[in-house]
Amino acid sequence: MMIQTNGLSKSFGGTEVLKTIDLQVAAKEIVVLLGPSGSGKSTLLRCLNGLEELSGGSVEVNGVRVASDMPARKKSAGFREIRRNAGMVFQQFNLYPHKTALGNVIESLLTVKKLPRAEAERIGYRLLERVGLAAKKDEYPSRLSGGQQQRVAIARALAMEPSVMLFDEPTSALDPELVGEVLEVMRQLAQEGMTMVVVTHEMKFARQVANRVVFMDGGIIVEEQEPESFFRSPESDRARKFLNQLSEH
Amino acid sequence: MNLLWDNGLFLLKGAYYTLLITVVAMFFGLLIGIVVALARLKGNLPVRWLARAYVSVVRGTPAFVQILIVYYGLVDYGITLGPLTAAYVALSINVGAYLSETFRGAILAIPKGQTEAAYATGMTPWQALRRIIFPQAARVAIAPMGNTFIGMLKETSLVSVITVTELLRSAQLLVAQYYVYMPFYLGVAAMYWVMSTLFSAILEAIEKRLSKVY
Ligand SMILES: Nc1ncnc2c1ncn2[C@@H]1O[C@H](COP(=O)(O)OP(=O)(O)O)[C@@H](O)[C@H]1O
Ligand SMILES: [Mg+2]
Repeated sequence: MMIQTNGLSKSFGGTEVLKTIDLQVAAKEIVVLLGPSGSGKSTLLRCLNGLEELSGGSVEVNGVRVASDMPARKKSAGFREIRRNAGMVFQQFNLYPHKTALGNVIESLLTVKKLPRAEAERIGYRLLERVGLAAKKDEYPSRLSGGQQQRVAIARALAMEPSVMLFDEPTSALDPELVGEVLEVMRQLAQEGMTMVVVTHEMKFARQVANRVVFMDGGIIVEEQEPESFFRSPESDRARKFLNQLSEH
Repeated sequence: MNLLWDNGLFLLKGAYYTLLITVVAMFFGLLIGIVVALARLKGNLPVRWLARAYVSVVRGTPAFVQILIVYYGLVDYGITLGPLTAAYVALSINVGAYLSETFRGAILAIPKGQTEAAYATGMTPWQALRRIIFPQAARVAIAPMGNTFIGMLKETSLVSVITVTELLRSAQLLVAQYYVYMPFYLGVAAMYWVMSTLFSAILEAIEKRLSKVY
């Protein structure tokens, strides 16, 4: 398994937002996380790379395991290793505004991998080519469209050569006409065999690209199915209700 | 007017000390400010509390009193500082507290997503601070820092009381020698004004250039 959580739980203050989540993702699998707003999708994703502290259970990514009952030092070391192996793409892009497109992509190569600048720039340029933005390498994020920013963010995450990519609503902040270019890059990645966990409301993408849909509600995984059968005949009432609400829009 | 010209060199030397004290106090204040800001943001409870107490005490008492304590008060404990050293120490401690607030605010002004993006690519907290947060916070802090600098330039006149011959005390010495007030006081007022205005202009130019970068 590329990703495995065992009894993962997460509370904020007194409220339990994730309740004993057991999620498994195989290598090269594309999993789409669906669920109503507030169901815990982002929190689950953020627990996978330690952006949220675990309240209980454990997370394992690419062979590195972190359990909530480990000493703090060991946990942060474990998550740091996981983060080198798991790229993350955020809804709000979170590009570094003080760095150019290329600067954003190569930052971790310089700082974390400590590559020489020339080599980092070579790698960064190739990644920008891959997302179709080589021509924009010297532009600052403020001069890029949302779609371009998100593609730079994907290139930045790819720079560490991750074995997993986590996407948290990567197209939700985009104008509708810019959604396609980002999904196209993600499709490409999927085809190249990247393991991906994607939170998205793009049903077409889920249908066409995902191997599996994981439906969450109220901090639990309610059901998991292949996309075709999930969209045709969801098992749970909650999933049915969710899909109905979506199609009303 | 002639009196002013004749003693111009003496006053310029005073201005030099005013500038020197300002620059030295700002330099050490900057270091103190960064350390205290980080202590307040990242330190454990006692460290945070200590940093807060420092800021609160310094901001809650007159700089004048602080200067007197450092120069005269410490003598009671066997610590005797020269006037210039005392001026450096007192003003560094003073400006450090204000700058720490500036830096803390600037660091807090950077969205959390920036740190998270840095962490997500494998950076350590220190790497994220150094490479991602500080450069952005510096831009936020530059304007208030400049105002602090100009404020400090004027505040240095307080150390005339501990016999540091900076600009104001140069004037006072001349007043005592010639028994005329106005030319000297107006003269040094003009010199303060020229320095403040000059630094304001420099600052504005820096800000403009920084805002062009991204
Ligand atoms: N930092 C936080 N502090 C307190 N509550 C939070 C925090 N982050 C998320 N929550 C709560 O956890 C629940 C799940 O949030 P989230 O994982 O963002 O849901 P989703 O991504 O599915 O919309 C929500 O009720 C939200 O209010
Ligand atoms: Mg979310």
